[in-house]
Amino acid sequence: MSQIRKIHTQLKNKEITCTKLVQDRLDLLKQNTHNTVNSLLDESALALAKKVDAKIENGETIGLLEGIPFGIKDVYMLQGTYTTASSDLLKKYKSPYTATAIQKLLDAGAIPLAKENCDSFGHGSSSENTIFGAVKNAIHPEFVGGGSSGGSAVNVAKDFTVFSIGGDTGGSVRQPAGYNNVFGLKPTYGRISRFGLMAYASSTDCVGPIAKSIEDIRIVLNVMSGKDIKDLTTYESQEISEEKILKANDIKTVGYFKNFIENKAIDPQIKADFLTSIAKIKATGIEVKALDFFESETLVSTYYTLAMAETASNLSRLDGTNYGNRIEGKNLKDTYSITRSENFSEESKRRIVGGNQVLSQGFSDEIYLKGLNLRDQISESFEKDFKEVDIILSPVTPNTPPKIGDSLKDLLAMYLSDAYTVGFSLGQLPTLTIPKGTETGMQITAAKNNDELVLKFANFLKDTL
Amino acid sequence: MSKMMTVDILSSIKGAQPSETVNKLFDVIKNANISNNNSFNNHTKAVSLNDLRDDVVVHSSAIEKQIIVENFPKEKNGYLVVAKVIEE
Repeated sequence: MSQIRKIHTQLKNKEITCTKLVQDRLDLLKQNTHNTVNSLLDESALALAKKVDAKIENGETIGLLEGIPFGIKDVYMLQGTYTTASSDLLKKYKSPYTATAIQKLLDAGAIPLAKENCDSFGHGSSSENTIFGAVKNAIHPEFVGGGSSGGSAVNVAKDFTVFSIGGDTGGSVRQPAGYNNVFGLKPTYGRISRFGLMAYASSTDCVGPIAKSIEDIRIVLNVMSGKDIKDLTTYESQEISEEKILKANDIKTVGYFKNFIENKAIDPQIKADFLTSIAKIKATGIEVKALDFFESETLVSTYYTLAMAETASNLSRLDGTNYGNRIEGKNLKDTYSITRSENFSEESKRRIVGGNQVLSQGFSDEIYLKGLNLRDQISESFEKDFKEVDIILSPVTPNTPPKIGDSLKDLLAMYLSDAYTVGFSLGQLPTLTIPKGTETGMQITAAKNNDELVLKFANFLKDTL
Repeated sequence: MSKMMTVDILSSIKGAQPSETVNKLFDVIKNANISNNNSFNNHTKAVSLNDLRDDVVVHSSAIEKQIIVENFPKEKNGYLVVAKVIEE
């Protein structure tokens, strides 16, 4: 059931005022103990709510998103608000401008309530790498909220926000969505502008909505999509209509990667549940094919090699010269290195150093360029697969969420926990997590630019599983 | 000129050392089989000249300029202070 449509009707029929709606959600966010909020936008949210109420009172028509409260991962620019990336370095940094995707939501009348906790600069899979305290899982608070968009997924799961905007580079929307039993979409790379999203790994960074229904994902996706002159990797896309995704009759063949399921690292229950779901799909008459794919270790290593190289380059601008928490040293270079040493978290430093390692002379050929070559092979493999199947299904994670504190004890395990999400990121494909099929959900993936098919199959699975 | 730069210098992070865990990931790449076609450019995206932004100066709004100045780490007597650049 679409939360957006339900609230829209309530507002239109004057069953609730927008001010009360917003105030109630702000209270929930303020009182919450899951560490989901970095800063609350209470004053601006209430001022916007009043305007919506005045419009309704005057008998004016309101748009579907008008007055709908939402959350923003704290890596998006929203003019005048703190945008910290959950880091010491940007603890007091204010956005001078607004990200394109967020501006489109503001133009549609949606009301931002909070900047949401996440792993610092997106560096993490648990939302523990943050100066605001580890995000606690919505269902089991002793477990992690997932990451890096952990605060966003927990806020949606707990109904603190109607929807939230996360960012997905290697699984950062899909994995926390899975850990908290909500929907999370990584659209095709370039469908939504990245302008105003702090860059982590630019070749896979995607803006992604998190919500409680497929319909809400569709509504928000349509609003944010489109070509943007400020991000030249964006492309013009067609609006996805509600009617077009209701029936999945044209989906005849579905594939899954057999090595994902045969992998010894997968939790036996997740494996069993995934195979049960596959059997249910088969029973509807859809053909299911087991596909060959790259080993988890190769996928994770390729992703991290390229992501670290890109983040080392992207984060080199953070030196405390023009903004950020500068710590003065005895000269310019000393100021740079003290500022960065003291303000970056251990995980961010690890990734920056790793990136500079693979980009440096003597190493780039045997690691970075080889990583690029592997990425090409991965993309080619997807192209081949989508000639044979319409949709690829996969679990979201090999395991259930770890206890808070556990993933920091075993870094390799943390990186490998991204095994099922990073491949689709490298392929720049549209992938949706649905809270069905296994305890941490299932991923639905289609060929590039075919986000519509993903939502269509999600509707089918919602009724089938 | 061949001056070896260590990762702490390259990263501007004092005392930075390569991580053993990250090195394990890189080892997987080193040992991986790659295709021989060396087609590293399959995913290079070219932007059509017609899609480029106009080459004109776009002035920021007053509020944007004000926030940029607010974000500056150090100010003295109305000037924004940076470290001396020429020292070596």
